Amino acid sequence: MRTKALSIVLPILASCPAASMAAQGAIEFNRDVRPILSDKCFGCHGPDSGHRKAGLRLDQRDAAMKAAKSGEVPLKPGDTAGSHLFERITSPDKDEVMPPPEAKMERLTKAEVETIRRWIAEGAEYQPLWSFIPPKAPDARPNPTAGPSEENEIDRLVRARLKTRALNLRTAARPEALLRRVSLDLTGLPPSADEVRAFIADKSPDAYKRAVEKLLASPAFGERMASEWLDVARYSDSFGFQVDRERPVWPWRDWVVDAFNKNLPFDQFTTWQLAGDLLPGATQEQILATAFNRLHQQESEGGSVEEEYRVEYVADRVQTFATTFLGLTFECAKCHDHKFDPITQKEFYQMFAFFDDIDEAGLYSFFTGDAPTPAIRLASAQSKEKTRGFEALIADSEKTLVDAKRVARNELAEWIARRSGEFVPSGEIGRFSGATPEGNKLQNLIDLSKPAAVSGENKIVEAPFGKAARLSGDDALNLSVGSFNRPDPFTISLWIQTPDAKERAVILHRSKAWTDAASRGFELLLEDGKLKWSLIRFWPGDAASIRSKQTVEPGEWVHVAVGSDGSGRAAGLQLFINGMPAETDVLKDNLSRDINPARENITLGERMRDRGFKGGIVGDIRVFNRLLSAPEIHSTFQPGLLQQLWSKDAALLTESEREQLFEVFVASGGTQPIAQARQNLHKARADLLKELETQPEIMVMRELPVPKKAYVLSRGQYDQRRDEVEAGTPASLPPFPTDAPRNRLGLARWLTSPQHPLLARVTVNRLWQSLFGRGLVRTSDDFGSQGSQPEYQEVLDWLALEFVKSGWNTKELLKLIVLSKTYMQESTAGIELVTDDPENVMLARGPRFRLPAESIRDTFLFASGLLSQKMGGAPVKPYEVSEAFRPAAADPGEGSLRRSLYTRWLRTSPPPAMMAFDASRRAVCSARRERTNTPLQALVLLNGPQYVEAARTLGSQLHAKHGGNLDAMIEDAFLACLSRFPDAAERSILSNLYAEQLAHFQAHPDQASALLKVGQTPHNPKVPPAEAAAAAILAQALFNHDGSVVKQ
Amino acid sequence: MTDPSFTQSEAGSLIPRRHFLREGGLGLGGIALADLLASSQGLKAETALPSPLPPRLPHFAAKAKRVIYLFMSGGPSQLDLFDYKPELVKRHGEQLPDSVRGGQRLTGMSGNQSSIPMVGSPFPFKQSGPSGAWFSSLLPNTSEVASELCVIKSMFTESINHGPGVTFLQTGSQIPGRPSMGAWLSYGLGSENSNLPGFVVLITKDKSGQPLGAHLWGSGFLPAEYQGLQFRPSKDPVLYLNNPQGITGESRRLMLNRLEQLHSHQLETSGIDPGIQARIANYEMAFRMQSSIPEVTDFSDESEATFNLYGPDAKKPGSFAANCLQARRLAEKGVRFIQLYHQDWDHHGGLPSAIPKLCGETDRGCAALIQDLKQRGMLDETLVVWGGEFGRTNYCQGKLSTNFGRDHHPRCFTAWMAGGGVQGGIVHGETDDLGYNVTKDGVHVHDLQATILHLLGLDHEALTYKFQGRRYRLTDVHGKVVKPILA
Repeated sequence: MRTKALSIVLPILASCPAASMAAQGAIEFNRDVRPILSDKCFGCHGPDSGHRKAGLRLDQRDAAMKAAKSGEVPLKPGDTAGSHLFERITSPDKDEVMPPPEAKMERLTKAEVETIRRWIAEGAEYQPLWSFIPPKAPDARPNPTAGPSEENEIDRLVRARLKTRALNLRTAARPEALLRRVSLDLTGLPPSADEVRAFIADKSPDAYKRAVEKLLASPAFGERMASEWLDVARYSDSFGFQVDRERPVWPWRDWVVDAFNKNLPFDQFTTWQLAGDLLPGATQEQILATAFNRLHQQESEGGSVEEEYRVEYVADRVQTFATTFLGLTFECAKCHDHKFDPITQKEFYQMFAFFDDIDEAGLYSFFTGDAPTPAIRLASAQSKEKTRGFEALIADSEKTLVDAKRVARNELAEWIARRSGEFVPSGEIGRFSGATPEGNKLQNLIDLSKPAAVSGENKIVEAPFGKAARLSGDDALNLSVGSFNRPDPFTISLWIQTPDAKERAVILHRSKAWTDAASRGFELLLEDGKLKWSLIRFWPGDAASIRSKQTVEPGEWVHVAVGSDGSGRAAGLQLFINGMPAETDVLKDNLSRDINPARENITLGERMRDRGFKGGIVGDIRVFNRLLSAPEIHSTFQPGLLQQLWSKDAALLTESEREQLFEVFVASGGTQPIAQARQNLHKARADLLKELETQPEIMVMRELPVPKKAYVLSRGQYDQRRDEVEAGTPASLPPFPTDAPRNRLGLARWLTSPQHPLLARVTVNRLWQSLFGRGLVRTSDDFGSQGSQPEYQEVLDWLALEFVKSGWNTKELLKLIVLSKTYMQESTAGIELVTDDPENVMLARGPRFRLPAESIRDTFLFASGLLSQKMGGAPVKPYEVSEAFRPAAADPGEGSLRRSLYTRWLRTSPPPAMMAFDASRRAVCSARRERTNTPLQALVLLNGPQYVEAARTLGSQLHAKHGGNLDAMIEDAFLACLSRFPDAAERSILSNLYAEQLAHFQAHPDQASALLKVGQTPHNPKVPPAEAAAAAILAQALFNHDGSVVKQ
Repeated sequence: MTDPSFTQSEAGSLIPRRHFLREGGLGLGGIALADLLASSQGLKAETALPSPLPPRLPHFAAKAKRVIYLFMSGGPSQLDLFDYKPELVKRHGEQLPDSVRGGQRLTGMSGNQSSIPMVGSPFPFKQSGPSGAWFSSLLPNTSEVASELCVIKSMFTESINHGPGVTFLQTGSQIPGRPSMGAWLSYGLGSENSNLPGFVVLITKDKSGQPLGAHLWGSGFLPAEYQGLQFRPSKDPVLYLNNPQGITGESRRLMLNRLEQLHSHQLETSGIDPGIQARIANYEMAFRMQSSIPEVTDFSDESEATFNLYGPDAKKPGSFAANCLQARRLAEKGVRFIQLYHQDWDHHGGLPSAIPKLCGETDRGCAALIQDLKQRGMLDETLVVWGGEFGRTNYCQGKLSTNFGRDHHPRCFTAWMAGGGVQGGIVHGETDDLGYNVTKDGVHVHDLQATILHLLGLDHEALTYKFQGRRYRLTDVHGKVVKPILA
């Protein structure tokens, strides 16, 4: 068997175009030699200085001409015999030959050796990597905008090349084939039967051009373009990795559809996605576009190392950026210098520095559903209006409160006169001080029935102020109070003693967990020995946080009081040490919403998967449901001073003492108008926060005010920092504009500069690939040394220049291509051409390849009239999700009838029928899909309820329309599925099919009625069941016809 | 000989070969197109277009023809199953010495724990087999087949969490996106059976625990035909295998005949197109799978003796025992890689009560599979592998109690292999007295992968696929074949 198959393979292999090319004309380094050297030599003798063997470098001519350590000269131009390189690649000695056997690579073939021989003999000229040199316009270029009768520049260039190989462009495809091709290419949908008929009938010279314009203007255009873009953007409706929770990022997908439909110039399309947040006066839409950078996989598996994943995310952004916009494989340089392309490891981390300046966590929150920060809220106009109303109310109440406090001065004297007895601060709702008689709890002096249990390894110990609790770090000390949220003013005071300068320790908190809940709630930590007090929605990007400048002395008793005024701003946070306001730094001041955690009260000393206050002692823990004034806080430290003041004769009070008493007066209740204003302010704040909760959020980019430091990471390991690096672009590419900021916006400017050699080419190439099934550069994801050389670089370059010149006009570019004769050629060809050039590299025929997964499904939904017209919105679950790895119930109704673009995409459980047709899993950026042909695809099309339902719907519909006239049904079905008329033989085959099936179903009426119940669309009762079932099978046959699933 | 699918090439053959492999080619791990065409109506093999060479030749003589991988997802505790540590029992409750831990990074689960007391296994151990391998009382059946097993006590990995850990074992990389081991083998060796896929996945039904994902048996950047196909314990073991309601085999056959006429007609009228020929063959293949898959999933021809061997669970579709029996049936039919998953070994707490349950679910099926293969003379050519993604700590996660738990432990864990070219009845590798570090003959995950490929006749350094400019391997740039265990 093996030998037989082999004998068939070989003759065709020998005639492959790449092999025959070098035989014709002079050797060209980039085309003929670089692929060999790169693949076989550069791995050890290329740009990667760290792994270079024998100090020998072959990717640069000068280096290759220098004598190696051995004294041998690898390359002597013109002297093959004297070139040691040649000797080594041809050596019969296995200790000598290159590549060496241990490299486990094939030896150079005879043809490759011959190429090298000729190249050296001809002078061993090098060329820089073609893709790094900016495109140049081809010579003698006629006017490209000339009328349709004149030759398009693409055709001129292709024809010229074909001529050298005694080939020519083929004639134009039949009108119906052309209409089908361009409709599928530009909208992902076939033309309707009526459109096909009308197009065939339309003999006007510009009929095709008008059809193209109509397609470009159709909303389905954006949907088709977006479905390709989602692959490079690794768009998915779930986070991926292990937990793979769903995440609502579809507003970004809708933005993409809209941007393509509006024909947003591609440089802006690029800039917005890379750096929309940095544009001056950035709009919500421009910020939303930056979600592109956040669509990578994200982890939340318990116990994962946060920084490890954060580094992974940033690296993914770099990789996606490089593949999408540069067509380069940057990720190779994450661990070492790139082995084939001139990109060093340092340059990888310089690129990394552009993408790491956001306030993000490496893990998303398992317990809360919030979008990982940074995020923006996407409010409806109505909700925005409401929000503004509440904000105005808040401002108003704040002002009223200030006024009320001023007026309250008038009542101070009277209040001072009323003082008596011992000063007791009001609003105390818990005081955990001293031990219970049993000695296993801290007593709550405010409510004796609710003490705090000192359990596990936590122990009651003696302290100067009485009994306290020494904490194990693993056991919680739970209080029965403290369920404060953001609008609630509150104060907590306590004594602490730490045994050592803690790097991190949780003193107290109200929250469910650390990273597993994004620390949502409030917390007092010791961090590098300093006190850190925070209100948090999602750490680190959504919080208000301050930290003391001074450290806490180990082994000493320190009194700490923290509080919040209800504003949620860093300025509203209080931190007192030993009765005095502590000097603090503001760490975060961007708390955007409420902090309400899924936990009731305050806990001390321990938190889920966080570092507890091991060996710390806490005592006299006091909780107040209001913000205490400074004198009051001091009284929780030392009651004496305020008590003196409290007892002092009014007449003897100094001005500053009066002022202190005024503070106490206002804070502890004040006047009725103050109380009223506070109440109003609290309500307005609570109402605002409630409204904000209704606004959906989405992850975006938001640059940190101070960039993070970036480092080279040895072997790519997150914890192996080496030299610090600054944001920058690789030296082998154009210089970074001197006046551009060193951030993502500057990067976008650098990238979209008209002189940039890659962006336009890479983009044009991907669009070309979407039309021809193969890019002009076959490796659309690799324009580097290991990528393939374009056969038609002149076409690619011309289109790239036109693209830039047109103002990056995507629709114009596509129009230019689809109006070319090269595109319009018929796709069939003789066996010689097909076997000589199976991938159609030479473009001597039109494109012909199996449709992408989305188009297959959409085509049959469209053909059957079931396809929903609805655009955008949350993803839907069609039938196939019930068969996914993690099955889910399909959405009833329209959910199964939407375009495939809207199908819910879960990374660990992707839609299985889509996957059978090679859809991308969207774990990482992918610029091209494989196209396989498998029996599993046959099963999907034959048996999947989506397709059975569509077939029976189409069958019944045609039967009803034509009153059972079989020939008319066959004709319409053919037009709907294959966009062409059937010939006589096909009519006859299908007539026989129908007759057989009709007879079968007439004999088995139960089968007919069962078939007609597949799916949810009710059967049209006007069509008799046996006829409807036979018509369904007729449609099924056409759904499974090669002509339906292949674009030709 | 290197990259097996391009081996015979001269003169940059890559393009046309690939092309026919894809658009013109056949799926399911490379089925012999010519073979198929020859047997389908009207088409003779001589007219067939070039095809990949299925089944493809290995790099060198293979010891095994196929693999059954019993993946214990979640990380079974080696200390309570295989790695007997009396010293740990003696020092139960003592803090883990820093000298042993040696700066090892711990997971966030227990990394911030203030106290890390060591915990000995509460289960008795006994020795079995010629080398005196230790087995805990939880594995009575496995211990009985000890003379067939090569117990590797010195496995270690790089990952400390499940997602990356399982992904690493199955794909050689911690980040999802690379081809899985089964996909590499299908790619390297093709399939021996044209009516069944080359790589089948079986997952124990109704198990909770750490989630699995389809990327674990995906083909990554390899063509989709090499991906694993999950057989589900339902009437549709393969996606949409069955005809829809109302369509019988008879009416389907009639329709397919007409479809073939349409395709043949198109072939005649529109010129050469390898895609159509492949499509014709694929529809025939799909039709045949509709009977070959139900055949292989229907246990009614199994003897009572066989059912007795696998135990009562074998009659419950989707149970681990039933999947073991299913694996044997697939192996008989020449399926190349059969991947079983059994979840819920992640015992952070409540280990002493949870692990007996898991062993109860799996122990008998494992042993029965070995015995069954042996009886049928298939064990020599079938490599059976048992193991999880990492081990578990010798110290307690959380509070020390009688119902303690163990955290993830990458530094040592146990796997076993049997049949297919490995020596039976041996123990490979050692760990220290406290069961924390490997002290002898460590086997890295990439080494295990290299060894599996080696047993199948593939050189892990030569089985490469070029993607985005780089030659990728299952073992990345690492891996050494574990020679001492080879038979």
